This record gives sequence, structure tokens and C-alpha cells, in this order.
Amino acid sequence: MVQETVVRNEGQLQPKRHSRFENANSTFRLFLKNRLAMVGLVITVIYFAIAVLDSVYPQWLGVSNLSTALNFIPGHSANLALPTAPSFSGSWWFWLGTTYSRIPILPVVLGALRIDLAYTVLIVFVGMSVGVIVGSIAGYFGGIVDEIVMRVTDVFFSLPFFVFALAIVYVLGFSFTNVVLALMIIWWPTYARLSRGLALETKSLKYVEASRASGASNFRILVSHIIPNVLSPVYVQISLDLGSVIQLFAAIFFLVGSLGASAYPIEIGYMISTGESYLAQGIWWPVIIPSLFLLVFTVAVNLMGDGLRDVLDPKLRR
Amino acid sequence: MELRFFIIRRLLLIIPTLIGLTIIVFVLMWSLPHTFLASAFINPKAPNRAQQIINAENALGLNQGIVLGYLHYLGNTFTGNWGYMTLSNPIKYSGTVLSGIGLFFPNTIQLVIFAAVLSILISIPLGTYIGARPNSLADHLGRIFSLSFYAIPVFVLAIVFQVIFGQGVIAGNPLGIFPISGTFTITSQIAISPPSWLISGVGGVVLSKPTHLIVFDALIAGDYSLASNAFMHLVLPVLVLTLSLLAGILRFLRASMVDAANSEYVKTARSKGVPEGKVIKLHMRRNALIPTVTVLGLLFASLLGGVVLIEDVFDYPGIGYLALSTILSGSIFGVLGTTFLFGIVLISANLLVDIAYAILDPRIRY
Repeated sequence: MVQETVVRNEGQLQPKRHSRFENANSTFRLFLKNRLAMVGLVITVIYFAIAVLDSVYPQWLGVSNLSTALNFIPGHSANLALPTAPSFSGSWWFWLGTTYSRIPILPVVLGALRIDLAYTVLIVFVGMSVGVIVGSIAGYFGGIVDEIVMRVTDVFFSLPFFVFALAIVYVLGFSFTNVVLALMIIWWPTYARLSRGLALETKSLKYVEASRASGASNFRILVSHIIPNVLSPVYVQISLDLGSVIQLFAAIFFLVGSLGASAYPIEIGYMISTGESYLAQGIWWPVIIPSLFLLVFTVAVNLMGDGLRDVLDPKLRR
Repeated sequence: MELRFFIIRRLLLIIPTLIGLTIIVFVLMWSLPHTFLASAFINPKAPNRAQQIINAENALGLNQGIVLGYLHYLGNTFTGNWGYMTLSNPIKYSGTVLSGIGLFFPNTIQLVIFAAVLSILISIPLGTYIGARPNSLADHLGRIFSLSFYAIPVFVLAIVFQVIFGQGVIAGNPLGIFPISGTFTITSQIAISPPSWLISGVGGVVLSKPTHLIVFDALIAGDYSLASNAFMHLVLPVLVLTLSLLAGILRFLRASMVDAANSEYVKTARSKGVPEGKVIKLHMRRNALIPTVTVLGLLFASLLGGVVLIEDVFDYPGIGYLALSTILSGSIFGVLGTTFLFGIVLISANLLVDIAYAILDPRIRY
């Protein structure tokens, strides 16, 4: 659409440009050829499919009906029992063994993943939206707005995010919501900086200038030219961040669990911390199995992100 | 621009960042109930408590509005009046925040120095080697190694290593030779008559003279058995920290090497007959190091997060462990002080990274 305007305005003959849809289609075909990236994509889709399925049909995994799951809390030591090892006999619930109190690991891990994934997506999405809008505005308008936004992101980058998140959680008061809030607060600057640089590059391109010359408002230029152009590296960042955020999220709840705090929703990092004390007795599955689920997800989103970067970066397409 | 001027300019840029850091920490503090702040600021055992609280209110500027409050905070921070903390869990400590930090900080420096030096020494030759041979067996192994250690949560790595290599965790385990907690074994002999270079500290932490880094101090004092004991205590936390940092650097260096290999200047160098070893070292590696150095700052931020988790798992009395204790003990000025300190550490690290960047890449000085 806009490309056509450019052709008309400049009155030059230009080869027919691909529409955005055709571009996306060829990008996707290139992506399909990258086997590792496809593996990453498939695994990620499976994870999300399980999470969505579990949210739509809660009775499928039955985690919410697991009244025993409450016994996860370290304080409930009254009915301690040694975990049973993974075995393929009996219900699928017990295929990956049990934690202490004989809570089956498999359905609980899947249920915990649902919580982790839902909040990870929420954190990354909110961080991305805020960051892209703020960064694009800063890059596009430049001047004092840009200076302020960049100094603010500088400050955020000078705070070690993990410690900072803990401090925010402490000040807000410990709760699940506040952990999520703290991670949102620390996650937007990455996107702001990324999209600011790209907006700066985009705004001096010919077609943006042409659009401005033909009288488009700042808002229109931002929404229909700057932001769409900023997005492709942002997709890569989103993909990599899904891995980082889920790990950070698990790390916070691991600390909470290992320091002996009380009841919280079942979460992967928390599960790992409850299994820690059994490791020395050779009971590895309560720690290793939830960790593997976390590891596979992180590897998958990283493979996907690397593949996306290869495809979206025209330099590497040669 | 000369390097000297670049460094001066970069040093001046610290000022806005530092102001931003203080504003953030101040906002965290100011958002809490002010009566709570005043009573948390002072030594709870001090005599004449009512008067002390009034003094604390004045020192913090609690009744003087947010602007003056911030200025008071700045003044207190830069004159070293960081407040008082009483910790009970898991560290037992009672004293001013600043002296507490002075007690725990050297241990973390020791940990981070070993891990950073080790991972840089390993990752640069290794990354050069595998990056120069893309899609070879070494490259595939290197990528699998770096991606998996990047993806393993650092706390899982720590607890697994603790079980596999920890002394006395599994009975009769031939690999279990490393102590799993603390900085060194306090034998009865040390407890009864500590050598003169060990200053007995508070809260179970022992400070040493003159560098405050216990391994080096023991070496300086000539106590080799204590030095090796302290060194053995460091092995596991350093190993875990190194592996996680190494994986990050290696991943990035390898990608940059491959990028550099596809560039025109490398093709030119090859076509005019520059020996392959020189192409790799001078053309590819030198250019690949530039983007790698830029992510080093970001990696260092996650390293500091890793420090908190690792110090928690290994009960290692550093500032990460201290930060956790302040949160668990509910000591607000402890939390703010350690957060501020972590910020300062990261700002200094970023400064060093930028200077290294300027030395490596003369282009950015212009």
C-alpha cells in the first residue's frame, strides 16, 4: 500500500514489491527449512498446547482436584512418605514417580507449567508492549524525550534484575501477583532500547519521509511504519525472553521454597526446592524431572529464537 | 578522540545513572510507612529509644516532603549512614548496614573474580576454536554444551553438583571431595587461638587481613593448609558460576565468529594469502570480540543474580546471602543497602566493559 504511494510520488519505475503477507510467507518457508528451529517451535507449541488444554479442561490433568497437592508445603510433615520412583505400571499420573507425601510428579509438573507459562507470557507481553511503545516514541521523536527514556533505561540496566526484583517484591509485600508485577517492571527496558535503535534507523528511510511529506500525522507514521518495522527483531527477543523469564520466575520461587516460606501455588522452582533435601538419598526425580521440563522449554525457545533471527536478518539470508 | 577523553566522558556519564539508581532505591524506601522506616533505621537496643526515633525521623527527613527526603537520602547514602540492620535468618548479625556489607562483600569478590577470570580464560580460546570451524564435530559439541548449560537453571546445577561432588553428602562417594558450605573449615585450633591475620568477625563471618580475600591472605601469611582448605571451599560455587557464565560467552562468541567469517574483510585477507592462523586470530577473533564484549555487561548482570542463588545453595557468606538474609529478616535498610550495592557493582562492571570496548574498537571513540 504505502510502497505504492512511494512509487507514485517519486514517479519512478520500481520493481513490484512483495506485500507484507507474501514476505511473511517466504520467511516462514525459510524457517521451515531450519530443522533445529522447527524442533524448537514444535516443542514450544506442545508446551503451550498442554497449558491451554489444562486451562480449558481442568479435569483432564485433575491437578485442581489433587487435594493431596496441598501437602507440598514443607510444613505439612505429618504425612511424610518416601517418594516412589518413576514406573510405567499403574496410572499415567505415576509414570514420573512421586514427590514426598506420594504426590504424583507428572500431573503436578504439567499443572505447574501451566502457571509458569501463563505468567511468563503475561510478563513478556506486557514488557514488550510497554517497551516497544516507549522505545518507538523515543526513537521517532528524538530530542529530550529520547534522552529521558534512554537515561531511565540506563538506570534499569544498571540494576541486577534478580536482586532488584527481590527488593521490589519485598517492598510490595510477598505475593504471587507482586512477583509478576516486579518482573514486569524490570522487563520493559530491554524492549525499549531495542525498538528505540530500530525506530531511529527506520525514521530516516525514504518511505517514511515520503509518508511525512504526503502529510501523514506522527501517530499514523508511528503506528503504520515505525512500529511494524521495529517488530521483527522484537519477535526474536520475545522468543529468547520466554526462556529467561520462566527461569527467573522459577528462581524466585526456588529461593522462596528453599528458605522455608509457606504456602504458594504449585510452581516449578518451588517443586525443585521441595525435592532438594531428598537428592542426597539418591531420590533424584523430584528435582531432576521438573528441572528437565524447564530445561527443555528453555532450549526450545532458544532454538526457535536463533532460527527466527537467522530468517529475519537479511544479512544472513545470503 | 583519545582514549583518555573517552574514559573521562564515560566517567561523567556515571553521574546520571547514579542519580537514577538512588532515585529508584529511594522510591522503594519512601513507599513504605514512615513510622516503620524511623524505627527500622536505628539500633533497636539503643537506650532512650523515643529520642532515637525522633533523631532518625530528622536524619531521614521523613516529615519534610519527598524532595527534601530524597536529598536527605542522598546525604545519608554518600556519608555512609546506611542505617541499622538486625538479621536473624539465616545469618545472625546486628550492626550497621555498611559494616555488615564490608564483612560479606570480600567473599563475593573472591567468588566472582575466580569465576570471571576462569570463564574468560576458557571461553575465548574455545570460542575461537569452534567458531573457526562451523558445523564440525567440535562445533556441534560446543553448541550442545553451551546451550544446555545456558538452559539449566543455575540453582539446579548448584544442588546437583553439591550432591555429586560434595564432601559427605553421599557416603563412600569417591567424587565427593569438596566441602559444600561456608568459606573455610574453622578447626578447633583456629577457634581457640586464631592467627593474628584473622580478625574474628560478627555473625559467623571471619575477616582476614590485609586483602580480606581469605585464600590470598592465607597464602600471604604462609598458612598453606588453610589456603588450600579455603580454596577447596571455593571450588564448587566457582565451578557452577563459571559454567553458567562460560556458556553465555561461548554462545555469543561462536555466533560472532561465524558472522566475521562471512565478512568481506576475511575473504580479502584469505584471497591475498594471509596464513589461516593469522586470519582467525587477527581478522576474525578480534572483530568477533567486539560484540561479545558488549554482551559481557548483560551477562554480568545475570551473573550477579546467579551469585544470589549459588550463595544460597552453598551457604556462602557473601552479599547475595546477605541480601537474602535481609529480606528474610525483614530488615528494610539492609534490603535497600544491598540493592544499592549490587547496583554500584554493576555500574562499575559496565564501566570496565565500555573501556575494554573502547580499547578493542577504536571506531567508537569517534
